Amino acid sequence: MAEREASMPPKVVCKGLEKTFHLGGRAVDAVGPLDLTFEAGRTTALVGPSGCGKSTLLRLVAGLEKPSGGVISIGDETPEAVTKAAGLAFAFQDAALLPWLTVRQNVALALKLARRPADRERVDHLIALVGLRHFAETRPAELSGGMRQRAAIARCLVTQPGLLLLDEPFGAVDELTRTRLNAELPTLWQERGTTTLLVTHSIAEAATLSDRVLVFSPRPARITGDFDGARHNPAARPALIEAIASALGAKSGVEPVS
Amino acid sequence: MTTRTAPFSPNALPTLFAACVLIALWQALASATADMFVFAGPLAVLGAIAEEGSLLLRSSGITLQSAAIGFFIGNVAAILLAGIALALPRLEQLVSGLALVFFCLPFVATGPILRVIFGVGDGPQITLAALATYYTTYLCLLVGLRATPGSWLDLVRSYGRGRLSELIHVRAMASLPYFIAGLQIGAPAAFLGAMVGEFTGAERGLGVLSIRAMRGLDVEMTWAIATTAAALSAAAFWLFGWLGRCLGAGPPPLLLASRQDGPSVGMTARTGSGLIYLILLILAVLGVWIGLIKGLNLSPFFAKGPQDVWAFLVSDPAAATNRAALFTAFWQTLSLTIPGYLVGLALGAGLAVLLVTQPRLASATLPIAIALRSIPIVTTAPLFVLALGRGAVGTITIVAVMIFFPTLAACLEGMRRTPRPVLDLFSTYAASPWQRLAHAQLPAMAPAFFASARMAVPSALLAATTAEWLATGTGMGSLMALTASTSNYNLLWSAIVVLAVTASLIYALVHILEQRVLHTFASEQLVQ
Ligand SMILES: Nc1ncnc2c1ncn2[C@@H]1O[C@H](COP(=O)(O)OP(=O)(O)OP(=O)(O)O)[C@@H](O)[C@H]1O
Ligand SMILES: [Mg+2]
Repeated sequence: MAEREASMPPKVVCKGLEKTFHLGGRAVDAVGPLDLTFEAGRTTALVGPSGCGKSTLLRLVAGLEKPSGGVISIGDETPEAVTKAAGLAFAFQDAALLPWLTVRQNVALALKLARRPADRERVDHLIALVGLRHFAETRPAELSGGMRQRAAIARCLVTQPGLLLLDEPFGAVDELTRTRLNAELPTLWQERGTTTLLVTHSIAEAATLSDRVLVFSPRPARITGDFDGARHNPAARPALIEAIASALGAKSGVEPVS
Repeated sequence: MTTRTAPFSPNALPTLFAACVLIALWQALASATADMFVFAGPLAVLGAIAEEGSLLLRSSGITLQSAAIGFFIGNVAAILLAGIALALPRLEQLVSGLALVFFCLPFVATGPILRVIFGVGDGPQITLAALATYYTTYLCLLVGLRATPGSWLDLVRSYGRGRLSELIHVRAMASLPYFIAGLQIGAPAAFLGAMVGEFTGAERGLGVLSIRAMRGLDVEMTWAIATTAAALSAAAFWLFGWLGRCLGAGPPPLLLASRQDGPSVGMTARTGSGLIYLILLILAVLGVWIGLIKGLNLSPFFAKGPQDVWAFLVSDPAAATNRAALFTAFWQTLSLTIPGYLVGLALGAGLAVLLVTQPRLASATLPIAIALRSIPIVTTAPLFVLALGRGAVGTITIVAVMIFFPTLAACLEGMRRTPRPVLDLFSTYAASPWQRLAHAQLPAMAPAFFASARMAVPSALLAATTAEWLATGTGMGSLMALTASTSNYNLLWSAIVVLAVTASLIYALVHILEQRVLHTFASEQLVQ
C-alpha cells in the first residue's frame, strides 16, 4: 500500500533560471542565469561558497520562491503543482522541527500537511530507520543537533516524495556523526531512486554521496564545475575531491580544504 | 531557532525571604507614618480582612464576575482584531491605530457616560474591563503571530498548503506563549477596569466598597480592599501562567516588541505616507464614533458626535470660553502626569538595574514585583493625596507609583531574558558586572522598558485623572466628574477627545523614540 502512494522520481529542468532579490531599492542577484537538468532518480550534490545562492536555488525548485526569469519544470509540471500534490520534500538548513510537537508528531505532521491518511506504522518505521526509536516521544529541544536533523529527514521521507531537496541536512553535526549518517541515511532514499538535490559544504560528502557534483560560483550562482560523482567508485574519490576543491578555490578565492 | 535564555530559578526560598523583608518594610512604613493616616500595615490589613471577611468575599465575587466577562469580551475582540491584521496586512496599521485610540479613552470620562447609557447594573464595569484588556492581548498576539521562524512556514508551503494551514499548524501554537503573556497582563487590568467602572455609581462590588472606605477615611479598609484586589489579580496572573505551562507554552522570547519598519501608530519618518495614514486613521475613528452612536441609537442628549465637539470647541460663539476652561484643566493635569510618569519610569528601571547587578536578589524579587504590579494603586489615590496634600506632590506620587511596579517587573523580566550564551561569553572574559550591564543586560532590557513605557501612557493619565476626580478636585479629572453631574455632555466628550488624542500622541512619541534607540543600541531586538 505504501508503494501506491510513492511518486515516481521526476526529471528536473531549469531553463534560463534567474532570481534577483530587491532589498530596499538595492538589487541582489542570487541565482543564474542557469540552464540545468537533474536526471530522474539521481543524486546531485551542489557545492559553492557561502551565500552564493544554493538555498535560493532549492527554494526556487520547491516553489517557495518565484523565479525572476526562466522556468522550472519537475517532470511535466510546475513546482507549485508538484508541491500541491506533496510530490517533493524539503529538509531545511535549520531542521525546522516544531518545538511543541514530539518527534513522532513532527514526522506525522508531514502526512497531515500532505493530506495523506495517518499511518502510525510507517511513521514509527521511519523513526526507527533514522535511529530515534527511543526518542519518538521526545520534543526537539531535548535532542542533539544531529538527532534533530535525523528527525527532519524521517519527516521528509514519510510522504515518499519523488523529489528530495536537502539543504545541508548534516550541517549541524560533528564530523564523526556526519560520517556515520553519510553511511547510513542516504541509502534510505537512494535505494528507491529518488531524485535528490543535496546542498553541502563538505567536499568529501559531495564526492561520496552523489552521482554528480555541481560547483557554483560566488553570487549569483553559476556553474563553474560539473563532475561525475563517485558514489559507486571509491577509487575515484581522491581525484574528484581534488578537482572539486580546485574548482571551488579558483573561483571563490577561498583556500581549498583538503 | 530562538535563542535559549537563562532559565528562571524557581528557588522559592529567596523569594519568600524577600517577601518577608518587604512585609516588614510595609509594617515599618505604616508604623512610622501612623499619624498621617495613609498606610495601614499588614497586621491592620489582616485585621480588617478578618473583620469584614464575608463582605469582602461577596464584593470580590461581584467585581470578579464583571472583570471576567469583560476580560473574555476584550480577548475575543483582540483575537478578532489580530485575525483581521493577519489576514489583511494592508489594514494592519489602521487596525492598530484604531485599537490604540480606543485604548487611550479616559476611563474617568467614559465611565460616567457608560453609566448613563447602561443605567444601573454591571454594563460599565464590563465595558471598562474589556477596554482595559483588549489592547495588550492584541499587541502580544500580533508579535506572536509574526515572530514565527520563516522555515516553519516554508515547511507548510513545501507541502503545497496555504495560509489557513499555516495558521492551524504553526502560527496558532507559535503565538500561544505571547497570547498567554497577554492574558497575564490583561487579567489585573480587567480587574482594575471593573473597579473603576464600579466607582461610577454601581451598587455593589469591591469598587463601591473602596469608594465608601475612602470617603469615610477608613485607612485600614481601603488598604484591605486594595490588598484583596491585588491578591485576586496576582492569582489570575499565576493561573494563566500555569495554564500556559500546562499547554506547553514557555515564556515568549520577546514581548510587545516593536517592528522595524516604522511604528504601527502613524507618524512614520516618511511624512508622505504618514500623513495619508493619519488622515485615514482620523476618518476611521470618526466613522466608528458616529457609527456607534447611530448604530446603538443613543440619545443625542448625552451621546455627542464629532460635530457637537467641533461646535463646542471651535464654531460656537462660546467656543473661546469653552476652550479656556478645558485647556486650563488639561494643562493642570498634564503638568502633574508627565513628571509622575517620568519619575515612575526612572525609578522602576533604576531599581531593576540595581537589582540585576545582584542576580540572586533580582530573581528573588521578580515574582514580588509581578505581584505588586497587580495592586490597583488608583484605588488608594485619595489617601495619598490626603497625606501629601492637594498640591502637586500627591498626584505626582500616585502617577509614579502606578507606573513604577509594571516598569520594574518588565525591566527585570527583560534583563532575565539576556541570552545565556551572551552572559557566558562575558564570564569567559571575567567581565565586570558593569560591563555586563552596559553591553548585554541593558540592551536586553530596552525593548521591555519601552514596551512598558508605551503601555504606561494611558495608565498615567488614568491615575492622574482618578486622583483629581476622587480627591484633589482639580484638573481634567474633576472637570469631567463635574460635567457628568451637571449634564454638560459637550464638555465631557470634548475632554474625552482631548485626552485620547494626547495619550495617543504621547504613545506615538514614545514609540518613535523606541525605534530610534533600539535601532542604535539593540537592533537585534527588533522583530522583522
Ligand atoms: N529573502 C531574501 N531577500 C533578500 N536577499 C536574499 C534573500 N534570500 C537570500 N538572499 C540573498 O541571496 C544570496 C544567496 O543566499 P542563499 O541563502 O541562497 O545562499 P547559500 O548559498 O545557501 O549560502 P549558505 O551556504 O551560507 O547557506 C545571499 O546574498 C543572500 O543575502
Ligand atoms: Mg544556504
